[in-house]
Amino acid sequence: MTDDPTDGPTAPTDDGAASSGETDHDAERARADGGALEVADGHAQDEHAMPPTSSLKRWFVTTNHKDVGLLYIATSLSFLMLGGVLALLMRAQLWVPRAPGTGPLSAMAYNQAVSVHGLVMVFWFLSPFAFGFANYVVPLQMGAKDLAFPRLNALSYWLYLSSGVLLFVSFFQGGTFAGGWTMYAPLNLPAFTPSVGGSAAVLALMLFVASVTVSSVNFLTTMHRMRAEGLTLRRLPLFSWTILLTVWMMLFAFAALLAALLLLSADRLLGTTYFAVNGANGALLWTHLFWFFGHPEVYIVFFPALGVMAEVFQTFTGRRIVGRKWFIAAMVLVALQSFIVWMHHMFLTSINLEIKTLFMATTIGISLPFDLMVFSLIYTMVKGKIRFKTPFLFSFGGLLLFILGGITGVFLGAVVLDYEFRGTYWVVAHFHYVMVGGVTALIGGLYYWYPKMVGRMYDEFLGKVHFALYFVGFNLLYFPMFVAWETPRRVFDYDPGMTAWHQMATVGAVVLGASFLVMIYNLVTSAYRGEVADEDPWNYVTTAEWAVSSPPPLENFPGLPSYARGTLEFLGGSSSALKTVDDDAPAAADRGTGAATDGGAPATLDGSEALAASAHTAEEVQAGEDHHASHASVWPFLVGVGALLLLLGLSGFTNATWSEGAMGTAHQASTGVGAVVTFGALVGMAREQFVGPSGPYGESWPFEKVSNMKTGMWIFLVSDVVLFGAFIGAYVFLRFSSGWIAWEPIPDNVVPGLINTYLLLTSSFTVILALEAAERESRGGVVASLVATVVLGLGFLGNKAIEWEHLFTDKGIWIDSGIRESTFFVTTGLHAAHVVVGLLITLYLILRAWNGAYLDDAAPVEHFGLYWHFVDIVWLFLFPLFYIL
Amino acid sequence: MVTLDTFVGAVVGPAQLVPEGSRAVVFRRIYEVFLVLGTAVGVIVIAYMLWKAWKYRASADHGDDADRPQLGELPSGGGGGRKLFLSFSLSAIVVVSLISWTYLTLLYVENPEPVQDEEEPLTVRVVGHSFFWEFVYPNGESVNDQLVVPEDRHVRLVVTSEDVFHNFGIPELRAKSDAIPGQETNTWLLAEETGTYQANCYELCGPGHSHMTATVQVVSQSEFQSWYQGMGNESANDTAAAMDENVTANDTASALATPTPTGPSPALTTPAASSATTAASTQALPAPPTPTAAPARHAPTATRHHPEVI
Repeated sequence: MTDDPTDGPTAPTDDGAASSGETDHDAERARADGGALEVADGHAQDEHAMPPTSSLKRWFVTTNHKDVGLLYIATSLSFLMLGGVLALLMRAQLWVPRAPGTGPLSAMAYNQAVSVHGLVMVFWFLSPFAFGFANYVVPLQMGAKDLAFPRLNALSYWLYLSSGVLLFVSFFQGGTFAGGWTMYAPLNLPAFTPSVGGSAAVLALMLFVASVTVSSVNFLTTMHRMRAEGLTLRRLPLFSWTILLTVWMMLFAFAALLAALLLLSADRLLGTTYFAVNGANGALLWTHLFWFFGHPEVYIVFFPALGVMAEVFQTFTGRRIVGRKWFIAAMVLVALQSFIVWMHHMFLTSINLEIKTLFMATTIGISLPFDLMVFSLIYTMVKGKIRFKTPFLFSFGGLLLFILGGITGVFLGAVVLDYEFRGTYWVVAHFHYVMVGGVTALIGGLYYWYPKMVGRMYDEFLGKVHFALYFVGFNLLYFPMFVAWETPRRVFDYDPGMTAWHQMATVGAVVLGASFLVMIYNLVTSAYRGEVADEDPWNYVTTAEWAVSSPPPLENFPGLPSYARGTLEFLGGSSSALKTVDDDAPAAADRGTGAATDGGAPATLDGSEALAASAHTAEEVQAGEDHHASHASVWPFLVGVGALLLLLGLSGFTNATWSEGAMGTAHQASTGVGAVVTFGALVGMAREQFVGPSGPYGESWPFEKVSNMKTGMWIFLVSDVVLFGAFIGAYVFLRFSSGWIAWEPIPDNVVPGLINTYLLLTSSFTVILALEAAERESRGGVVASLVATVVLGLGFLGNKAIEWEHLFTDKGIWIDSGIRESTFFVTTGLHAAHVVVGLLITLYLILRAWNGAYLDDAAPVEHFGLYWHFVDIVWLFLFPLFYIL
Repeated sequence: MVTLDTFVGAVVGPAQLVPEGSRAVVFRRIYEVFLVLGTAVGVIVIAYMLWKAWKYRASADHGDDADRPQLGELPSGGGGGRKLFLSFSLSAIVVVSLISWTYLTLLYVENPEPVQDEEEPLTVRVVGHSFFWEFVYPNGESVNDQLVVPEDRHVRLVVTSEDVFHNFGIPELRAKSDAIPGQETNTWLLAEETGTYQANCYELCGPGHSHMTATVQVVSQSEFQSWYQGMGNESANDTAAAMDENVTANDTASALATPTPTGPSPALTTPAASSATTAASTQALPAPPTPTAAPARHAPTATRHHPEVI
């Protein structure tokens, strides 16, 4: 549990230790080679400890963004199958209204199916499916060789897979979570959903959030720091834009969800009373925390689909998108506004009219930018040369469905109507039109990029069959839900008058499900038998992924991509590699000058100018080419295995006691082994020499002067701010609900807290001294300062232990005594966990400093310092809140 | 905003721009307008989409190929900004005016003006339990799974829960409110026709959620009076199964038996009524209406509990 918020700081620090130490060295070596840059050749690169794609081992050790993207897509499609099977079970139950105890599913089984269907589809399918494309395509579109932290990318994937496996296993632990995907309190507590599987599902989701957080930090660092020269943010292709905004939203929204899940896990595992029935308004607290995450989540899953639509529309209409900058502005507006609409999910709770009015206004406000985007896509078709290939059919269909979802969403924006639609199939139908509308576009994306990823074309006829079945099945499934909207959600004993509509929906579900069998058959067989695809199988594409072979070589580009002269060219690469783009592309003639990619054809340019341009970027060319870049690491996989075992074990811990008998022993063993494996793998990852792509490649706004590691650390800390903000917000909310002054601070004595404040502030100072010493290249100074930090930190923890022991033994106060006690122990406990992690990192730094590290490069000490100062600043908020006020 | 409401009403005249009346009437009016407009917009937009898609299909060979996107170009907008803004503004006007209109209705729904000469609204406390509904009347009596209300009289529902998050809704009367443990939410209904309706739970609350329904009986005012007077007398009403606890609630009952005449102030906030309800709430909140009744309530519902697990 403690490693979730801390994976970030541990891993990036160590990545930095490895890469920032190594990169310069590497660049120097490249320069020593005379600056000669070989063509990046997939086969040549494979020599660098990277097994071929045919080898199973490759998929366990790969850190390459394209491999990880493929893993994400394959895994997410497996979860689509799981969620789909659950949906079919539900639809079978809904074939006729069922009396209690009749039908294929028991009531509890139905609730589990409903809950896990929602969780799997929203979390384990939709976002990871989109992020499969993001992984594969975004670095290519941006002109980067890989993500900033390739191992963290692999780690994200393995944590994702582990979390999914844990969720699946939870079905067999006495039944999985059965409280709906919104997990409303207090039904989410063991008092009402007591199964071990319920805890496992919550922990699985927490692991998933950890994966998302690592991923967000990685993508944000990459996208802000490693864009090709000339590719300013406003010139970023639209798919990349949607991903950029998605990860920003993820960073904030998922931190809030992490806070909610940590509190829920504390309630379930340790017996705190945040959400208890007799607590202080815990049910409402959950709705706030959940929907603060939950509404941005809607856009998090929909934006990538929007990006796919934008790309596919432009390609298959042969037109540039209408009003591009307004399209982007609209998306930015939505991303910002998404954080101030959450209470529209709570119109029927006890919030007052003023708040309802405010949130009604913001809700309508957020719908308007979508109007603009929809019109923009529609007008893009005008004067086009539209080719109804499968990707376009799916994107076009997705837009159509999204329009219907949008219109029915306006109904929900009218509060008076929302009152009645709340908890009915209107909501179900609406959000399926929106979200599965998004899925439709993403499937378009799958067909669109399939030839790029596989190197072969899919079968166009089967693709169209898939679309026809899919579109008919979709509407047959979801449209009757609008008609039968009076049916309450998650109920299988509905008004018999609606039976016909529900039966239509069930038939539609079967058709929709079957359409995916066609897709899978098509995509699997085409991988072997399909027509071989060249760089650009579509024509009228613009983005860089189509300028390289299908699939692209391991390091993506034949040279350093640059847009400095207005079009894409590869600097320093051999011209032969570039020529292939023009030679093989069937529509080369159509493209007029074709100057797009021929950096190696200076005929179209003034020779000296071309030379100047190359000279200008020569440094970047060299810096960008890591000939000895690493691509393989087994540690992310092992961290995933460890985390799975750890959380699987912890799921057997309920209300501070282990489950009884052999299962309890098994759970304890699993926890212990998992903890050891996780820790060992993290240390292994830290110690491994790994060279990632360093960047920058030209455009790094707004982080030109900040290294990747430092950027990543800052971004991670931003998410940590939200995490602590949510914890403190929960405390303030609960205390306010109980009548603010009714709560006294838990510790009767302010002195231990005060001493701890001094200890922590001093330890911040010693970290600064360590940095100073490192810059003065004083090994003794670094070690001494860091040891002082550890001593002060241990003093902090020791002091806290004495204080807690006093509270427990002398006053009989513990974490489960009441809500006031829970907030104290959990919030300061989260902080203490941060201190513990900080000290572990410090110990690692001391060991390395003893061996003389950091003297030539103090960056890791500086990055750790950022984290440590942050932890200290948090204490400066916690101390008055929990000791004085 | 109420003044704005009145102002708009005065301008438009008695046709009533803002629908008033029972919640069912209000809902129907707004829903119909939305349905008609929504369908129209949907049909127009989708028809336009399909038409353009068909018109500009590749085989039709419209337009020239001079300025098609090229591989490796830096992105630029495709023009057409004016048309885009025109459509956007149009859609914004439609949406904003529609929602503003419903906002006036929201103001009415949140605070319906008392019907003149109407008697004090009946306040019923609705308590959600896993998995049944308990209705506590002003006299302190409670009935399970059956809500009896008089026709043509405002009924104020104070909704809460004893355990998990539920949501109480009567679809035909368009009354719905979250039932949150430790919180009270308010809603109201006005039934214009006698008859039997069904109340549902609209928030997943556990294995009994699908069957957590209650009967809502709308009876004539006189029938209601006699039923209400006879509550607590077990022979008077067989549906009100648990009436034997009115001893503890007698004080509250007498306080409410003589409702103070309502003035022009909104009926729902009449001091006497609200304080009496608060009294009832505070009495009922920490524990079920009577300690003895609580276990008895749970016994029959246990048979509807399906704790089995797949």
